[in-house]
Amino acid sequence: MVTAIWTIATLTMREALRRRLVVALAAISVALAAISGWGFYRLSHSSQVTSGESAAALPVAFILFMFMFSFIVALSASAIASPSVSSEAESGVLASVVTRPLRRSDVLLGKWLGLAVILAAYTAFVCGLQVAVVAAVSGFVPPDPLAAGVFLFAEGAVLLTLVLLLSTRMPALAAGVVGVALFGMAWLAGVVGSLGASLHIPAMQTASDVSKWVLPTDGLWHGAIYYLEPSSYLLRQLSEGGEQDPFFAAAAPAWPYLTWTAIWFAVVLVLGVVSFQRREL
Amino acid sequence: MSRISSAEPVTQAPGAPGGDPAATPASPAVHAMELRKVYRRTVALAGLSMTVGRGEVFGFLGPNGAGKTTAVKLLLGLTRPSGGGAMVLGAPAGDREARRKIGYLPELFRYQAWLTAREVLVLHCRLLGLARQAWARETGAALETVGLDGRGDDKVGTFSKGMQQRLGLGVALLGEPDLVVLDEPTSALDPVGRHQVRTIISGLRERGATVFLNTHLLEEAEHVCDRVTVISKGRAVATGTVAQLRRRGPAVRLRVTGMPPGWWQSMNGSGRWTAEGDWLRVADLADGQVPELVAAIVVRGGRVEAVVPEEQSLESTFLDLLGEQE
Repeated sequence: MVTAIWTIATLTMREALRRRLVVALAAISVALAAISGWGFYRLSHSSQVTSGESAAALPVAFILFMFMFSFIVALSASAIASPSVSSEAESGVLASVVTRPLRRSDVLLGKWLGLAVILAAYTAFVCGLQVAVVAAVSGFVPPDPLAAGVFLFAEGAVLLTLVLLLSTRMPALAAGVVGVALFGMAWLAGVVGSLGASLHIPAMQTASDVSKWVLPTDGLWHGAIYYLEPSSYLLRQLSEGGEQDPFFAAAAPAWPYLTWTAIWFAVVLVLGVVSFQRREL
Repeated sequence: MSRISSAEPVTQAPGAPGGDPAATPASPAVHAMELRKVYRRTVALAGLSMTVGRGEVFGFLGPNGAGKTTAVKLLLGLTRPSGGGAMVLGAPAGDREARRKIGYLPELFRYQAWLTAREVLVLHCRLLGLARQAWARETGAALETVGLDGRGDDKVGTFSKGMQQRLGLGVALLGEPDLVVLDEPTSALDPVGRHQVRTIISGLRERGATVFLNTHLLEEAEHVCDRVTVISKGRAVATGTVAQLRRRGPAVRLRVTGMPPGWWQSMNGSGRWTAEGDWLRVADLADGQVPELVAAIVVRGGRVEAVVPEEQSLESTFLDLLGEQE
């Protein structure tokens, strides 16, 4: 079983490399990191900005750039997962694979593992690059970039797992679009929650909380934000009512939420396996 | 079912492996029992029963849309039956361990375009669980057998359809399978390729493997199959050797004048009549019935201008069988 899963996982990883998907993503990330380097250099070396203003602005700018990368990670997760079952089923590639002596669950778990490794490698690369570039040009280093990277990866992996499930039943384009739309809605629900806090409307906050449990992308993104915030920035935001800011996290995600996220992964992955097992090819 | 065969016994095909009965597994290669598949309102298979013996080259014939590919998918576990069941190599259809001994060339043959032909074959060696030291031998032999030696390191994406079908055939031959299921294996091949496929099937027969040949090309079945089943509208309508199928009643073509249009529709009990332009075709006649038939036409006032006996090819048998289902 493990051998079969690993065979499919390595096949999936090789496909991403051969099709130059990873190279294309890396190239665009390098370009964006270079642009951000220029911006961070200007921000930290401008004569019109005081050192205090610069110190306050750097974490905000860094979080905003990481938000952009989180969007690229999520979009990439959706793009790589959406064709992985449906396109191969429609083209006939899967028919010759699943008639070999392996379980369909091996095929789906192998694909998930391969895609997750690609996503993890890309997230590590993009986080490492961004941290290195910003540290080099401005001296700003977020307090725990590793933890932030893990949350960023987990956010992408949520979407990857969901889109893989959709891909067992829907055409690639539909699965990808639905995945990205749900990701956007979940993020918007987070903003709605911040607005609800600002306007003191509990219903809006409740809707946002429910959304975070149904699709934990925004909850995990806020985990990433928390580990990018220096303590000085955190204290200032808290004293100034920062809960209303959609790019601020007052606390790390609690253990019950992380436990639920783990359960969410397991449930959606099992649903994907069952759906694929029942799919007629 | 036609009169050629009804519920047939499990047959041992000519050329079965080695001639040692003890070495031949008792269970048939394929045994389908009232296999049904319904897609919403469409009945793709309406109760297919058939048996394919070990070592047999079995032709599964039928027109487009008869349910051939559906049957193959059910036998391989790609789809689930709506009713009935099937055993393949002694295990329920789709059984994982049985699949280790099955080679399959799908009708829609597509392989990873970004891999080389050799890499596709190695992938299938891995999926089959073959020992690593056997991979080079297996892939080399497969490439050579299907005429792709020299192209093994080219990307599949650069291959023509015919070359991809050859590759698919090579994939199906890996690991010395006991059962090779070929779904329309020559659909993209030129005459040379078709001849090579026949040679490959002969080689499989000599090795003692069972070949399940799904085709609508009668010539293909006529050349290589020990036995065929004709399927129409999701049911087996005849099963037998090609010779048995040909041995249906004789057919003649007649040109008759001096009779009103459609007169032949009243000729009950003397074969099956169809109009073909100025000619009439009468099939399924009893042996020696032709003079009787001519006399009957003359008695009715017709002038029999020509009587052409028709050689009973598999194609004409096939058309007759399908005609009976109309």
